[in-house]
Amino acid sequence: MNSVLLPVLLYPVLLWVEITALTFVTGLSERTPARIALVDPPPAHEALLDTMSGRGAALEHARGLSPALERLDAGDLDAVVRFTPSLGEEALLADNFRAEIHYDRALERSRRARDRVDDAVSAYRDAWLGRETEALGIQPGSLEPFDVEMRNVSTGEDVGAALLSLMIPMFLVIAVALGCLVPAIDTTAGERERGTWETLLSTGASRGSIVTAKYLYVASFGAMAGVLNATAMTVVLGPVMAPLQSLQGGGPALAVSLSATTWLMMVLGAAALALFFAAAMMLLAGFAHTFKDGQAMVTPVFYLALIPLVLGQQSDRTLTPALAAIPVANVAMMIRDAIRGVFLWPMIAETLLVSGALVALCLRLARSTLGYEDFLLGAHRGGFWSFARDRMRRGRGAAPAGTEAG
Amino acid sequence: MTGAGRGVVRVEGLVKTFVDEGRGEVRAVDGIDFTCRPGEIFGLLGANGAGKTTTLRVLSTILAPTEGRAVVDGHDVVRTPEAVRRSLGFHSASTALYPRLTARETLEFFAAVNGYPAHLVEARVEALMERFGIAAWADARVDNLSSGMKQKVSIARTVAHDPPVLIFDEPSVGLDVMSALELRGLIAELRDQGKTILLSTHIMTEAERLCDRIAILHRGRILGEGTLDELRSATSLHYLEDIFVHLVRGSA
Repeated sequence: MNSVLLPVLLYPVLLWVEITALTFVTGLSERTPARIALVDPPPAHEALLDTMSGRGAALEHARGLSPALERLDAGDLDAVVRFTPSLGEEALLADNFRAEIHYDRALERSRRARDRVDDAVSAYRDAWLGRETEALGIQPGSLEPFDVEMRNVSTGEDVGAALLSLMIPMFLVIAVALGCLVPAIDTTAGERERGTWETLLSTGASRGSIVTAKYLYVASFGAMAGVLNATAMTVVLGPVMAPLQSLQGGGPALAVSLSATTWLMMVLGAAALALFFAAAMMLLAGFAHTFKDGQAMVTPVFYLALIPLVLGQQSDRTLTPALAAIPVANVAMMIRDAIRGVFLWPMIAETLLVSGALVALCLRLARSTLGYEDFLLGAHRGGFWSFARDRMRRGRGAAPAGTEAG
Repeated sequence: MTGAGRGVVRVEGLVKTFVDEGRGEVRAVDGIDFTCRPGEIFGLLGANGAGKTTTLRVLSTILAPTEGRAVVDGHDVVRTPEAVRRSLGFHSASTALYPRLTARETLEFFAAVNGYPAHLVEARVEALMERFGIAAWADARVDNLSSGMKQKVSIARTVAHDPPVLIFDEPSVGLDVMSALELRGLIAELRDQGKTILLSTHIMTEAERLCDRIAILHRGRILGEGTLDELRSATSLHYLEDIFVHLVRGSA
């Protein structure tokens, strides 16, 4: 029943929630104003500044290019636009100017700021051309005013780190979840399906040691899957992305590398995720009687994990106390920050504490569930939620249900 | 070790209740007492639902008793369940083997996990494979073995750690005549080695031929217990089937 109802009813709902979350996050990013400093804006084109403001730019006037670029480098600005008078033939056109957009290609918000300035200049150019050519009685195509030049201030290392930070956290979460999925089902529902569960329970090993061994097996499998995938991705990303980078207009040569501290954070993050996924998946799959049922019960965990991951994909954000409290997303963001060389230790501590608390909660639930004989012998027909509902309905005083046989 | 001596299984006032959605509280085992000694096959004879499997599951600590006490090889099933499980081998239709392990790996694993001394495991496994006639298939995966061979590996698995107490829950279910005969021979041999054996069955001939003492179980209660001769004397009937029917009808 579960293997039919869950995919048919639950999966579409989860997919809808994910798409909604993605749309919401994209909307938030679009709504965030771009912090842009203007150097020597042309007095004759004040309307251009209004156009830029209308396209989501928070403008400020800078005293000079160098201090503005320093602030861009420090992350206090998203872009710097320097206006200079046009030279040569272009200067024949009255009030023509040239705009240099300085931006950091490694940062999404900076790329977004660049695009907003570019769009604003294009829109202003079209409106201005319409007016001027009409007044002069000439064709609009014969004039090409307001040249825009893009200047990327990021290094090859910055772009490499940006690429890695975009891809590795997401694939690490997916790889860890997938790495836990099959072992979690195999060690629980698989044991029941093969009929080996009771064989194992009748051995001299304690219940605690059996469950601990299974749990550590699933968690280490998941963590290894995550770390190995992330390692493979780091190794191949440079050679794969370098040709694409040149297709996008060159820039500094892509450099992909990770520091030892970043590796450590990645291993730590993979372990935290694996301990959580293993506990949650085993808890749910423990109610299944067949591998197929187990898949249906556990796959929602995988989909649910992708929802907070969408939050973590807001590449411009760093961990905040609120984000560090969101399971899965916090670990993904912790790893992403580490790849970009950002180590916010109080946030990292909060992330690990939240992950640890979640693991403890899952293990506590698993421990109390194991105390029920109908769970132990697979007599309960249904999943975790119906089991929990039954237990709450019966109350604490009721004797645990069991299977009746022989 | 406390209470009864080595290899003795003692059950006193054992009760096991379940909560059933439709029927409320069900007493699957309703206050039974018996003792089984080394070198003896004690049979639990009853129809489906009589409480045989539940009793054996309590003895193997898979289920906890609701009331009463059970002691296996001197260990209380509630207080020291791990010690109880190390002292017994439990074999039933629901204790399957790991299909991806070989016969040898299976025996090694179960000997080790049940606390058999590590330095003796290899010799023990070799001896078992010789005794059970599975040496030629020692390195074959269990899922590639015939059902008769799987049954042999399964029994060898049950005795891998050389426990003093053995529990067989309907061991001949699904076996052909020759395999069942061979199985009975193996169980009798284990009894002759001094093992304490509890055997549940609903097959009268199996109980007649194999069991030294028999308890007839019905609706969780023991209706009669003793050797076959004692049961015959008590009921004035010769065949076990007639004795069984007489006791069950008399309890209605």
